[in-house]
Amino acid sequence: MTTQALLQVLASGLLMGLLYALIAVGLSLIFGLMDVVNFAHGDFLMVAMYAAFGLWFFTGLDPLLAAPLVTGLLFVLGALAYLGVVRFAMRARSNAGMVQIFATFGLAITIQGLAQFLFTPDYRSIGQSWLGERTINLGGLFLPLPQVYGGVVSVLTFAALYLLMSRTDFGKALEATREDQGAVALVGIDRNRVFALGWGLGAALVGLAGAVLAIFYYVHPQVGGPFSTIAYVVVALGGFGSIFGALVAGVIVGLIEALATTILPPALKSIGIYSLYLAVVFLRPRGLFGRL
Amino acid sequence: MNRRELLLGGAAALSLAAAPRARAQAAEVPVGLIYPMSGANAQIAADARAAYETAAEVINTAMDLDLPMARSVGIPSLGGARLKLIFADHQADPQKGRSEAERLITQDKVCAIVGAYHSSVATTASVTCERYGVPFIAADSSSPSLHRRKLSYFFRPAAHDEMFSEAMFDFMDAQRKKGVKIETIALFHEDTIFGTDSAATQTKLAQERGYRIAADIKYRANSPSLTAEVQQLKSADADVLMPSSYTTDAILLVKTMAELGYRPRNIIAQAAGFSERALYDAVGDRLGGVITRSSFSIDLAAKRPAVARVNEIYRAKANRDLNDNTAREVMALLVLADAINRAKSTDGAKLREALAATDIPGEQTIMPWSRIRFGADGQNTSADPVLVQYVGGKWVTIFPEAAAIAAPVWPMNG
Repeated sequence: MTTQALLQVLASGLLMGLLYALIAVGLSLIFGLMDVVNFAHGDFLMVAMYAAFGLWFFTGLDPLLAAPLVTGLLFVLGALAYLGVVRFAMRARSNAGMVQIFATFGLAITIQGLAQFLFTPDYRSIGQSWLGERTINLGGLFLPLPQVYGGVVSVLTFAALYLLMSRTDFGKALEATREDQGAVALVGIDRNRVFALGWGLGAALVGLAGAVLAIFYYVHPQVGGPFSTIAYVVVALGGFGSIFGALVAGVIVGLIEALATTILPPALKSIGIYSLYLAVVFLRPRGLFGRL
Repeated sequence: MNRRELLLGGAAALSLAAAPRARAQAAEVPVGLIYPMSGANAQIAADARAAYETAAEVINTAMDLDLPMARSVGIPSLGGARLKLIFADHQADPQKGRSEAERLITQDKVCAIVGAYHSSVATTASVTCERYGVPFIAADSSSPSLHRRKLSYFFRPAAHDEMFSEAMFDFMDAQRKKGVKIETIALFHEDTIFGTDSAATQTKLAQERGYRIAADIKYRANSPSLTAEVQQLKSADADVLMPSSYTTDAILLVKTMAELGYRPRNIIAQAAGFSERALYDAVGDRLGGVITRSSFSIDLAAKRPAVARVNEIYRAKANRDLNDNTAREVMALLVLADAINRAKSTDGAKLREALAATDIPGEQTIMPWSRIRFGADGQNTSADPVLVQYVGGKWVTIFPEAAAIAAPVWPMNG
């Protein structure tokens, strides 16, 4: 393996990792806010990818321009998922955790089923787009533009998210609700409203990731699967509920995945990530930056 | 007469009108079809359903085609009984395949099961069939280990991957004889039985025939990213890239190759994803000159007229042309219907005898095969594979020379 090939693998791993972080952060946010693991997270990603594909296919709108629309659409979907499903699941008197898991799991299967019914299981992908299949060549180091764009979007989003959480009333309300749900009700914050907005925000983030991913990845009803598995690992590794943790863990997972594929036999590609995950579970169960 | 009475009367009249027709209809022969109706390969099953419905139409109605059971209505020896297709979803999971096969046999009383696309599922489903004494026909599962398990109820009319891989190496040998330089190959295969069996065969053939394997890359199916894998392919830069991939990974492979600036000089694919229209819809412009093995080629219509007609029926249902997979599926059901007719029964043991005695000349197929005649292991030994090349948006048969329509474009111009 030459230095150049190694650099290539590291660069690709970094870019992919930033995207994993963007996919995972919504999941982490929702969990941190209300201790609910959203098993439909991957399917939100799938819906976002279909939305980006659909806008491109029917109106010719470039996925770059479609990104805000897709993000907005997913915000609505996330808020509706909370108001229509999760809100009721949270009222369970006993086994609340299980009820929530099954509720979001059911939501996942419903979304997948609907996608298969409405969009057929055919594989779609966006053909011509501004960034699609363009690559920057830095002296033999190939950086695909869609992934560079994804990395930039991811970094900017994390910066915006940091500002949102630390500088705005909405962010403070989220933070306060997560600290003590009872107390916020006393000061007049509507818990349901904060949760709905939190779900909306979480889904919007994965929606943005989907709009980026759709530029270079194929879309079909089950496309969320492999990505959501990685998202769960990223969230657990970074610490449930930690936004910064998701960013760091996403990059770590991307790099380890790329390196493991290069050094180990490719079939053992996932071993690197999961052994790291196991190590974290044993040595630091709350994750790298978790506050549990 | 109020409205309710009117409705009731109308319904009664309708049912009276329908009754004689229902009585006149002959018995049905249930056939089980086991496919990944949901999951990442659901489109394969959607296309397969259209293919089997096409075959059932050929069997159940009278058509002037030189194919088994085409000219008659239904199964003549069973009083014109029609085939009834019962689909089951195995979700690409061998365990689900096993339980669905059992359900088809015990609940739906199917006389045979046809399937299963995924060789991994064909493995378990065919063992279940063996246990119940019901024939299993592997329409499109091509792993060579399938017919080596001494199962007596297993039949495969189409070629297996060793025959396919041999055809690829025969082709490369022929190219070498013409003075084309082919020294190194790169194997790129997914990690279930299809990919691993295919790669094992190709490794053996490469060693026997003096090709150096510059890279042998096994990857996890449905990977989110193949960048590191493709980087290795690029470093190896073999003369011929030989992928064994399902559709999703094939799309990602081609996209990633483009992103990393890697243009393989030639691709000879083990069909699967490389036979699927979705791949060419997505990235066809980068696949000019790709070669894949096939059991079928649409340009065969020049030699076997039934091909065009069957393709028309299929096209009306699926809005696409028959391909390697769907053509094999059509043929598998025709072979089964032919055997049911000769068995004059749907009894498992009798049907098995009839299948074992199958002898259909190549002219009565829609395939480039010379014959359908099963060996003791249930494998059709005369299922000659072809290699087809994607040129100008169309598939052209290039090998063997007897079947070739055009000379190969070499190197490819993707």
